[in-house]
Amino acid sequence: MNFWPGFYALQSAWYLLLLVPLLIFYFLKLKRPHQRVPSLALWSQVINDRRVNSPFQKFKRSILLLLQILLLLFLVLALMQPYVQSGAERAEYLPILIDCSASMAATDSQSGKTRLDLAKERVSELIDNMLPDQRLSLVAVSSTARRLTAFTDNQRVLKKALTDLAVDDVPSQLEDALRMTQALSRTAPIKSVLFYSDGNFPREVDFELPFDLNFQLLPAAGANIGITSFNARKNQAGNWDVFIRIENSRQADSPAEVELLQDGTSIAKEEVILGSGDSQRLEFSVAADKESRLEAVLNPGSHDSLAADNRAFLTIPQSRSLLIYIDPELASYRYALADNQEFLVYPQENNSTTPPEFDLIIGSTEKDLAKPGLVKLGIGFIPEELNKLITLENNLTDVVDWNRSSSLLRHVELADVQISQQPVWLENANVEDLEALGYEVLIHGRLGPLLLQKRTAGELEFYFLFNTDRSTMPYRVGFPIMVSNLIQLTLQEAGISEAQAAATPVLPPLALQPESQYEIVTPTGHELRAESDDNGRVSGIAALHTGEYTVSGAGADNTKISVSLLNPLETSLVAVEEIQFSEVPVTATEAQIDSDKPLWGEFAFIAFLLLLGEWWYFQKRPAGTIS
Amino acid sequence: MSEATPVSQFTTLFDNKTLSMLERMRLNPTRRLTNRSRGEHLSGKGGTSTEFSDYRNYVPGDDVRYIDWNIFSRLNRPFMKQYQHEEEMHVVLILDASTSMDYEEKFQRCRQLAAAFGVMGLLNFEKVSAYVCHNRGGRPQQFQPTTGRGSMRRLFEFLTQIEPGGDSPIESAVDDVLRMHRGRGIAILLSDFESFGDLQRPMNLLYSSGLEIFGVQILAPSEVNPEINGDLRLVDSESGQTLDISSAGDLLGLYHEHRSLLEEHLASLCRQRSGKFLMVNSGDSLEHVLFDQLRRKGWVV
Repeated sequence: MNFWPGFYALQSAWYLLLLVPLLIFYFLKLKRPHQRVPSLALWSQVINDRRVNSPFQKFKRSILLLLQILLLLFLVLALMQPYVQSGAERAEYLPILIDCSASMAATDSQSGKTRLDLAKERVSELIDNMLPDQRLSLVAVSSTARRLTAFTDNQRVLKKALTDLAVDDVPSQLEDALRMTQALSRTAPIKSVLFYSDGNFPREVDFELPFDLNFQLLPAAGANIGITSFNARKNQAGNWDVFIRIENSRQADSPAEVELLQDGTSIAKEEVILGSGDSQRLEFSVAADKESRLEAVLNPGSHDSLAADNRAFLTIPQSRSLLIYIDPELASYRYALADNQEFLVYPQENNSTTPPEFDLIIGSTEKDLAKPGLVKLGIGFIPEELNKLITLENNLTDVVDWNRSSSLLRHVELADVQISQQPVWLENANVEDLEALGYEVLIHGRLGPLLLQKRTAGELEFYFLFNTDRSTMPYRVGFPIMVSNLIQLTLQEAGISEAQAAATPVLPPLALQPESQYEIVTPTGHELRAESDDNGRVSGIAALHTGEYTVSGAGADNTKISVSLLNPLETSLVAVEEIQFSEVPVTATEAQIDSDKPLWGEFAFIAFLLLLGEWWYFQKRPAGTIS
Repeated sequence: MSEATPVSQFTTLFDNKTLSMLERMRLNPTRRLTNRSRGEHLSGKGGTSTEFSDYRNYVPGDDVRYIDWNIFSRLNRPFMKQYQHEEEMHVVLILDASTSMDYEEKFQRCRQLAAAFGVMGLLNFEKVSAYVCHNRGGRPQQFQPTTGRGSMRRLFEFLTQIEPGGDSPIESAVDDVLRMHRGRGIAILLSDFESFGDLQRPMNLLYSSGLEIFGVQILAPSEVNPEINGDLRLVDSESGQTLDISSAGDLLGLYHEHRSLLEEHLASLCRQRSGKFLMVNSGDSLEHVLFDQLRRKGWVV
């Protein structure tokens, strides 16, 4: 800290020349008011006496002039805009990134303030101490980056943006914010960037810093316990197994009570005590024949930093059988599913009627797969749009590699499977061409892909480009496993056997009427608009806050969707003290920014006091007067 | 001050009620300086008045008319009855009519007090004279020595017609008066005593002339408690001289000190000459001065 003040508007010192007219006026002024007195005898004695007794008489005679000179001096000093130099480098353009992810709503037991409140206080102090040549830009960092203000020196605008800033119940994406800041640097020279956060974000950030990042780590919040997972799965007895995962932050042991409500009625309670950083999975059994709404409520037994993760909602769907269409020629698949009574497999021998829509379609022609369905598996043909890329030859081939993490191929062993049909890349065709059309290769053959996956709006499609019946696959253990995976996938897509609580930051896809406009009201009262696609699916709706979203429009009569789960990282309140960028790490600092402090306000205040003092001195009641 | 119409009042100086109360009051001098001529003021010496004083042994040659025959019949010895001697006391009213007295209600109060003292003198068969001093070295305006109730109206008229103005300081005024005056008694000095000169000399002159000094300092309310502030130019009402003062508010404390010192000095000068002193604020009511202050200070009985 440099205690010698600097002056931003040194040229205002010219106003000191006003001292000259002030002195001239003072000495030229004074046509003293005449006061007639009976005799000067007494007053002459008084004056003579004072001259003898008062060594500061000359000073007292001019005290008004002195006050006026001081008043002018302080006014000119205020105009010169002095400031105490902090010694820190003063950035002319300074972007300030403020983390407003869910964890920033965490409070501490002492002050009760949220981390965001603390960040706001610090940024507000920076705004107050802005110098005239400084421009600040505020950027909110949550799941995306939002520029709250452009570079401006307008304190009112900055303060308003800061006041309006609220926590989003989503994790923070620092990369987005840094990229936005990088984009800002094209319009203004940015040397350094301030980042206020509680450190609750991934440690590694894939970004090359073109500027200095000053990571201001906010003080840690208190302990937090929260619900991080809430889902249900239908068991074989027809009931639902409900799973609730409770996680505790690393600050302290936390007791809590978990209550489960079904359609508003409490059906189970359980007390848990979680150690520091522990998690626990609770399981409840719930009977539900029809659609039912479950609510998990966590009642912490001690201070809980975050309230947003203490409630979770889940809707259990109505039970029904899977509707499956299998081409009659694909006997191996019919055989694999024959014993299960929960499936209705079409076409049926004694029933010619078919439902308008299937959950799963396993077909050997394009025509079969043209039927409406959630999951489709094509066998032994190449989709029409791929005819320019792949051709099918009758050669023997085998599997080279496959995607073991694919939902369809989980635990499926494909080594040594012999295939009598060989898909072959046409000239100049490769994987990139497939990816451009939305396909993903799940099984690679020797000369071309064997299994493709494509996710279209509302549909999940798989294509075996060879006929599985013309391979050794149906005779391998992996085949029934693959069919089982397919059924599980279908159950998930149909939402029949599993239900999961919706989580931020995106609403789960909604199945509504095709090509219709919908209005979604968020828990904070904002209105969003969305349009359904050809299949009637509305997806990609941002859900930045936990709570109830209301969808209205064609076929959705104020449908309520509850979003309740936060990212587990937010519940854990884990804080990183160092951000690892591509090249350099940035270590957090808890020392607050030492900014230049403008002093013009203090000088103006002193000038005002001098003005009051002068007024008082001029108007004061004469000393010695008997009231 | 009188609020009644002049037609119904004996004088414009005060109302009839005040006048009637004044008629019952008389001055109370300390030393009883009197003239040889016969009057009604008890001289302290043996005399021929009807007021008994003492007895003494008869010596040959005494007037047998004053032998107390009752005592003689009881004691068979002659004793002479002695009586108080009543002599005339001269009440001299000296009015400072300089311009400094022409300030607020000072001179009006001066006139009223002079008239009041004059009434007390006349109604007690004292000889009353008045001198009004205007200009330095000039002959004071004189109200010839007179006595008796019949002179009261003339005294009032004399006092009423005086116009203040002039530069006569009190010490010079006393000199001028003593050049004209003869007779012992009391001199009532009515002035503001705001003078650059020495006040001891006129007091000595008055005393040595056989006059007991009754000093009345008359000040205006704004002289007693001036309310001024800031930078001012004070103008002397008599001489027109000016005095620049700054931060007048700060000087008021000193002013009060000096005014108190002057008051004490004047009181001391009078007291040392067996006289009396009184400071009168012209803002106070006349009744308060006459019937309260004067009584409490022992000026009148």
